[in-house]
Amino acid sequence: MDHENKDKPAAAAGGVSRRGFITSVGSGAIGVAAAGALVHGAPPQAQAEAVKAGDVSTVTLTVNGRRQKMLVEARWSLLYVLRDHLGLTGTKVGCERGECGACTVLIDGQARYACMTLAVEADGHEITTVEGLMTGEELGPTQRAFAEEDAFQCGYCTPGQVMAAESLLRANPSPDLDQIRQGMAGNICRCGTYAHIFKAVAKAADLKRQGR
Amino acid sequence: MLRTFAYVRPASVSEALKQMEDRGARLHAGGTDLIGCLRDGVFEAGKVVSLGKLDELRGITVAPDGELRIGALTTIAEIAAHPAVAGKFAALAQAASVVASPQLRNQGTIGGNLCQRPRCWYFRGDYHCTRKGGDMCYALGGENQYHCIFGGGACVIVHPSDTAPALIALDAKVRIIGPKGARVIPLEQFYVLPEKDATRETVLEPGEVVLGVLVPATAPGQRSGYRKVRARGSWDFAMAGLAHAVTLKAGKIADARLVLSGVAPAPWRLPAVEKLLIGQKLDPKLIARAADAAIAGAKPLEHNGYKVPLVHGLIEEVLGGIPAA
Amino acid sequence: MKDEELYFWNGPLPETQAPSPAPAPEPWGETKVVGKPVVRIDAYDRVSGSATYPSDVILPDMLHAAILSCPHAHALVKTVDTSAAEKMPGVKAILKDGVVGTNIPWFSGRGGFTSRLFDPHCRYEGDEVAVVAADSIYQAWDAVRAIKVEYDVRPQVTSVADALKPGAPAVRDGGNAIPPGQPYARGDVEAGFKAADVVLEHTFTTPFELQNAMELHGCVAKWDGPRLTIWESTQGVYGVQGGAARALDIPLANIRVIGHYMGGGFGAKLSHGKYTVMAALLAKKTGRPVRLFLSREQVCLSMGNRPGNTITLKAGVKKDGTLVALQSKTVGSGGAYSDGGTGSVDFVIRELYACPNVRCENQSVYINAGPERPFRAPGHPQGAWALEIMLDALAAKIGMDPIALRLKNITLVSQTRNGNPPYTSTGFSDCLKNGAEAFGWAQARARTPAPSHIKRGVGVAGGIWQGGGGSPPSTAIVKLFADGSANLNMGASDIGTGTKTWGVQIVAEELGVPMDRISVEHADTGTTQFATPSGGSKTVPTESPAIRSAALDVKQQLFAMAAEQLKLPAADLELRGAEVVSKTDATKKVGLGQIQAFGRRGLLVGIGYRVPNPPGKVTNPFGAQFAEVEVNTKTGEIKVVRFLAAHDSGRIMNAKMFQNQVSGGITMGIGFGLTEDRVMDRAQLGKLLTVNLHDYKMPTALDAPADKTVLVVDPRDNAFSNTGAKGVGEPATIPTAPAIANAVFHATGLRLTDAPMSPARVLTAIAGQKPAPAGQKGRE
Repeated sequence: MDHENKDKPAAAAGGVSRRGFITSVGSGAIGVAAAGALVHGAPPQAQAEAVKAGDVSTVTLTVNGRRQKMLVEARWSLLYVLRDHLGLTGTKVGCERGECGACTVLIDGQARYACMTLAVEADGHEITTVEGLMTGEELGPTQRAFAEEDAFQCGYCTPGQVMAAESLLRANPSPDLDQIRQGMAGNICRCGTYAHIFKAVAKAADLKRQGR
Repeated sequence: MLRTFAYVRPASVSEALKQMEDRGARLHAGGTDLIGCLRDGVFEAGKVVSLGKLDELRGITVAPDGELRIGALTTIAEIAAHPAVAGKFAALAQAASVVASPQLRNQGTIGGNLCQRPRCWYFRGDYHCTRKGGDMCYALGGENQYHCIFGGGACVIVHPSDTAPALIALDAKVRIIGPKGARVIPLEQFYVLPEKDATRETVLEPGEVVLGVLVPATAPGQRSGYRKVRARGSWDFAMAGLAHAVTLKAGKIADARLVLSGVAPAPWRLPAVEKLLIGQKLDPKLIARAADAAIAGAKPLEHNGYKVPLVHGLIEEVLGGIPAA
Repeated sequence: MKDEELYFWNGPLPETQAPSPAPAPEPWGETKVVGKPVVRIDAYDRVSGSATYPSDVILPDMLHAAILSCPHAHALVKTVDTSAAEKMPGVKAILKDGVVGTNIPWFSGRGGFTSRLFDPHCRYEGDEVAVVAADSIYQAWDAVRAIKVEYDVRPQVTSVADALKPGAPAVRDGGNAIPPGQPYARGDVEAGFKAADVVLEHTFTTPFELQNAMELHGCVAKWDGPRLTIWESTQGVYGVQGGAARALDIPLANIRVIGHYMGGGFGAKLSHGKYTVMAALLAKKTGRPVRLFLSREQVCLSMGNRPGNTITLKAGVKKDGTLVALQSKTVGSGGAYSDGGTGSVDFVIRELYACPNVRCENQSVYINAGPERPFRAPGHPQGAWALEIMLDALAAKIGMDPIALRLKNITLVSQTRNGNPPYTSTGFSDCLKNGAEAFGWAQARARTPAPSHIKRGVGVAGGIWQGGGGSPPSTAIVKLFADGSANLNMGASDIGTGTKTWGVQIVAEELGVPMDRISVEHADTGTTQFATPSGGSKTVPTESPAIRSAALDVKQQLFAMAAEQLKLPAADLELRGAEVVSKTDATKKVGLGQIQAFGRRGLLVGIGYRVPNPPGKVTNPFGAQFAEVEVNTKTGEIKVVRFLAAHDSGRIMNAKMFQNQVSGGITMGIGFGLTEDRVMDRAQLGKLLTVNLHDYKMPTALDAPADKTVLVVDPRDNAFSNTGAKGVGEPATIPTAPAIANAVFHATGLRLTDAPMSPARVLTAIAGQKPAPAGQKGRE
């Protein structure tokens, strides 16, 4: 009952000189079970090798500006990898089926549900989580606007709301109320804070325009 | 949490086709429907074949003759925002803009939207229904408030796509490739009614993949649109929707294509209504007759009778919103 | 029968310790901090993503657990074969019925416990059969799917009406109909109806609703020897502590429950769950911390619901608007394991408007569905749906303005409580009047409809909440440090209501300490004071006086010390920053660090107890809400254009948070009135069809209007507590749906009596509407 398949992200890939190619058993820094083989990231010209069910493969995720090389199973969601493997628990679990928005992150600057995204599909892409909107310990403008406008109650949907707002404002820096509502339409707030959220997004637009 | 599967990301379409030869291989385009189906156990995936590397299937181009060419992996959000779509192909832009939610529009693709599986809660639930190879349709004697009023048979789903009715109204064609080669067929012929085969929604043969859609240049004076009626303002599929493409010449309707969503197992074209309209002036009397014609032959189930006045009202509202001149 | 006001607590309510005698404090006049729109003290934590919710807790060596739920609406479990599951990668423990330690009674009702942790008699889809703990959540679910269960599937019934029919499948031994208690009656309704000029009767239906808070139900459990720590997403840590202690048969002292941050409850998290006990058992068995959170599907199935009700209401009124008789019959179900299903539905009917003759009957019934859990204002949105639409119908019938009709029947005393005690305050009239004026009611009602298939209308509804006046027990502690900074220690959970923030505001108000120099501990049975769960709109009215008392206790001690040292009367002193200063001679002062007695003490501790409300009176919050809608008569779509809510919740703690609460209640009421509906496969397998957040439709940003105005009606009620603050969480959602229904009537002449008013229902009503007879404007 003891298959110790403890993935150690980032550190595991340390010391690899060739492009993504990692040997299997015996690579002490990785500690992968004998049962799980690894597949190297294929150079573009060659035929892709299928990753067998249950095996792990390497992905490179740039999360909040930091490149993370990780070993993941194909079925793992990006949400699971962010929270359970990278410890970034700001992104929340609400439904795991793309129906609530609590897990909203940015992928290449666009709002996406991390629960509906396989980690392997995010390979090579830039991911921004709510933690990534901070500068050190300073809140970003969108976060500040939500705080000032009391645009949350229990706060559980809030990181997702903030990311959706961020995505909206990066694409449209001066949205009107209708555009704000449309942009936030993929995030449920069960506490029903929507009216305050709309104000927060408008305020965030102001703060961003002012360079704050 | 998902069951395990093998995974491959082929570098070319031909490689993808080869990978799809395996039984149990499932295509991952945007993944929005695939992930949902796997979570609900609608089907199993022995192997997931990701189209993520196939950049040649992304993007929108306009041919010199005005034809719109959309790659299958173009996201719904890209289609909704593209300037070439918004102007002349308004029905498609409007349909794309009311699909699901912003995040799902960023992820979902046009190919996936056309090929998505139905949302029937029996199909998606722990029921071995007709469409999944069982011998019973649970909606027939059950909670069928969201099911069809036209075209039903051994199965009474509605097709959930918004873009499909809009594209059919715009007379689009779909490009398909498979082990036996490539083909291009009108999108209107892409869908399968239960009377023909209650276990699939499209004519795609095993191993076939949608490459893209082609939308012919619009006639001068054509206007189009898509109106969706649903219980909530976001996420929900249509209780009923209407795509229209109408061309007026000298105050008369020169051409009309009307396609309903949410009322039949396939996007539901209204040829009888179109025939009524063509050659006529658009006035309230004509609109009333058109609305009556649209619901002729409707076969509501126990709980979805409201769809009949809904379709009637949609025709009235949409046609009523087209300026007569 | 359990006191309706105390539905949030199981068992007898503990009593408060007798407080040390102290003079009753002066009521607050104008306040400097309390009531202001202060930013929440934990805003940073929430918007930065750094707040650790129970589902975010990651402990070294932690296991992940998943529950196997029965897929049948009614079945007997014959065998549970876990042999394959046990061998799967990462699996560390599996529990099922029969495993040592799992024979824990569950679901109490008349005659004791009726079920157990893994009851082989599964009475609804979702009943728990087994639980697996594994290294990863994926492995846990793989193992769950590998458990082979043999079920003997039984006939099921999930429709309330069907369950009452003779020959219906039996959900429980002894029949499905639960013997009703005595009907409520006062006066003589038959005489009342005879005396009425107009008598109307309607049957109303309301949906089963699912709370579906954003954070899933669950906990993390960890043992250290005999001591158990639980991080749980809960509205009440002491409730969980008590429930876990009883279930596991361990001393309360050995259980610590931590509930900082939680992602919403709405009543569904007032007590512990089977997951609490399962996680603890798994953690004990494996020697590792265990994280067990339900899936969203499991939450929909088994973590509570608001019973759907059928309410037949008959009302009699005189031509001048005087109500003379109200009679209701309510039917509902609390699922398979609850004896309820109609609780508190008739409260607004028998209490809100003055009426001498009232009779209310209730019939609850078992069905093979998930157990009810209190859901924001249990019973009240249903009762208000019936009562407030009925009032609108009566007003139309006698040609009276709906607001005038309500104003005609205001009561200053409680009609349902023994002795008819007076309310310490009722701002209901002002809510109606001020609200109407701010809303532009008269103009909107008189508006001529534009010739369009999209019709506009406005409607009003009122409400009262049975709780919201607060009561013991509660203890709060305030500490004042030598540098003039302070700490507040209280047991109450902050479920999104801003509890920590207004608690700090109170301390800041009383002691003059700036808010950023006050820290808070809360919601931790190991380190904080006792409080009952945050629910019932009781947290502000219960905790605010206790906190104020604790701060006052500190102040009294401090001033007594300073007075002695300065040789001035204590009444002359005030606290300014880190100095105690004479109010009359600012040169006479002493720094906190210089107060010798304080220095010897090191720290000042003030204890505040919630004392009982004055006897012979009751305290309730009231509200009136106004809605403007657009109805598309071709498609049945209802668009809520704007809302105005006027609420008497006494003194408000924080203007921004209050607006937010009310706005949130309106959003939830929009769900009740327009979109939410639990659907079961009644006719076939009895399974839940709305088992996810797409099919169960909660309002989105596009369903909630941006235009929401909140009016505060503060009757300055200093009679019931030293803060005069009532609750608002529940009042905010009681009148919402009927206000929309009444607006729909004003717009279209359609009297819809079934919630939710989906486009389907609107279109069906339009199709069934007969054309107006000549001479009428098409209104009833």
